[in-house]
Amino acid sequence: MKRILGVALGILTAIGGFVDIGDLVTNAVVGSRFGLSLVWVVAVGVVGICLFANMSGRVAAASGRATFEVIRERLGPRAGLANLSASFLINLMTVTAEIGGVALALQLASSVHYLLWIPVAAVAVWLVIWRVKFSIMENVTGLLGLTLIVFAVALFLLKPDWGVLAGQALAPAVPAEETAPTYWYYAIALFGAAMTPYEVFFFSSGAVEEGWTVKDLVQSRINVLVGFPLGGLLSVAIAGCAAVVLLPAGISVTSLSQVILPVAEGAGKLGLAFVLVGVVAATFGAALETTLSSGYTLAQFFGWSWGKFRRPVQAARFHLSMIICLLVGIGVLATGVDPVLVTEYSVVFSAIALPLTYLPILIVSNDPQYMGKHVNGRAVNVLALAYLVVILVASVAAIPLMIVTGAGA
Amino acid sequence: MPDTPATAPRQVLILGFASLAIVLAGCSGGVSESVATAAQDSSSAVATARIALRQDMDGKLTRAATSTTLDDALKEVDTSRSTVLKLSAATREDRDIQRQALEVLERCAAGLTAARAAVAADDGGTAPSTADADRALAAAEDALQQLEDKVAGK
Amino acid sequence: MTSPELVPLLPVQGRILDAQLHLLDRQVLDHDGVPVTTVDDLELSGPALGEEIPQGTPAPVLDALLTGPVLGTRIFGGRPPSSRLIRIHWKDVADVGVVVRLGVGGEGLDASWVERWVRDKIIARIPGGRHDPR
Repeated sequence: MKRILGVALGILTAIGGFVDIGDLVTNAVVGSRFGLSLVWVVAVGVVGICLFANMSGRVAAASGRATFEVIRERLGPRAGLANLSASFLINLMTVTAEIGGVALALQLASSVHYLLWIPVAAVAVWLVIWRVKFSIMENVTGLLGLTLIVFAVALFLLKPDWGVLAGQALAPAVPAEETAPTYWYYAIALFGAAMTPYEVFFFSSGAVEEGWTVKDLVQSRINVLVGFPLGGLLSVAIAGCAAVVLLPAGISVTSLSQVILPVAEGAGKLGLAFVLVGVVAATFGAALETTLSSGYTLAQFFGWSWGKFRRPVQAARFHLSMIICLLVGIGVLATGVDPVLVTEYSVVFSAIALPLTYLPILIVSNDPQYMGKHVNGRAVNVLALAYLVVILVASVAAIPLMIVTGAGA
Repeated sequence: MPDTPATAPRQVLILGFASLAIVLAGCSGGVSESVATAAQDSSSAVATARIALRQDMDGKLTRAATSTTLDDALKEVDTSRSTVLKLSAATREDRDIQRQALEVLERCAAGLTAARAAVAADDGGTAPSTADADRALAAAEDALQQLEDKVAGK
Repeated sequence: MTSPELVPLLPVQGRILDAQLHLLDRQVLDHDGVPVTTVDDLELSGPALGEEIPQGTPAPVLDALLTGPVLGTRIFGGRPPSSRLIRIHWKDVADVGVVVRLGVGGEGLDASWVERWVRDKIIARIPGGRHDPR
């Protein structure tokens, strides 16, 4: 019984933890401009993140090594440092976006300006990282994030023409008002949002935090293989809501307030309450994960003592670096830069940086020195190589498309 | 020292160039093109505000959410307005378009401000009613549509 | 590097380690499994660079694992003065596997002075810094 509960809890937190500010904003933007014609990208992204998270979880469980230790060992100090710089900066951008997302959601709930909420949100993130046990942190934010299911409920209550939605999803085409480069630019953004690299740093470091062994791999595989696809369905529901309410009204999403309007339309004030709790929980949870990830990447590269399972005094540089990251995030947001804009750039840069983490993980998960008999199977490798091509193409195409489309304008 | 793959440092370089290119790309474009974008952005914002107002009247949206949505819409219109203000119109035609766009965007902003006042007012006395605000926004929407048509006709 | 004139070390029982593959950039753990640092560079005994190697010189041996600023010079070139090198003596190394394990505690090592400084000056002074999360 306890085992089943454990599995259920793992799946639920994986669903609730899947969506972050990047998924919320990108899916709503895409839904409001392209309908469901980019749903296939979410599907590709979800399969990718399942594959990728599974591999990094297996590396962590089999060798006890987290992603960035492995990256430095494999790439050497120079390429490792370049990789660290790029990954760390993009992760810092994501931290900033998530904290901004928490603040924006709190503004929607309270009408107090979001700039006032930013220090509150950042201090709350720090307090949780400082004090709260890892598993409690993961489970609470994950379970509260589940309230985002209200997007799916609202979509049903809106009574859309399912035939039209299915048509958009199954026979994707570029809408008349949009150009092909914009379509592909947002395809990459959506891919980056679904496969954000921080989830991989976090997943592998989290496996070390929770002391996974090879025995726990079955549980983690179930969490990933069931939880992430269901999380992906949530993403599709967000896009669907925007496609049903905002697209016909000629609204293209540029703020978080527009993301939640369809839920209020379908499910009223109760739905609104749920969605606000869900957005706060999802962005707060992601803020925790990204902040921890920035500590993880630095500590693992330089060989510092790290982990929430240690007392802060036993991982001093790890905790100090996270405090500094949060302060930098507050500083960036204090300039008044639009958090939604930061989010939109962060998902595209995430897509660009994907090969940096994906490739080393793929190499190490085939290395018997680290993995023993748990090296990748043939089927996994074939799929992984196919994804490597997709990831490289997305990474290379992102910048030219960004320039051509004026960042999707 | 293994010969390091060049992809990683190159990626960083690309990031730098990209941000430069984005900044440069943002600064170009003709008057009617910029006005068209501004009109599109603003009509999206006004449409959002109208949905929020209607939901507010139907009791589907809390006051905090409505006023935040209206604030966001106003911010969007303000951004468009300052972009149009900064345009340097060389020809008489461009100056006309710029002037007309500013008038229309002014109406949008006024409508949104009225809507904010209507939502914020508790007494329902002197403040404009939500229905009035919605009518003002509807008129602004029509004006935006005309502007878009005119610019697109070029 | 290895010239034929050098006297080979006496054959000993043991494993062959490749400095590049098994040592450099590996995580170093102390005897309790607490991470100390990463192997940023190695220090070999023996003739200095560019010096004439006389006949009969013994082959160089690994003296110490290096860490600290030497990472910067390894990446960008140059060499810090010998007094600035932070060493972990090879005799303290207990085992080399996927990670390098030391036979001593990390607390007293030169390599962990930054960690100790950050801990004592900053982290320990914030309330709850000694709180055990479990």
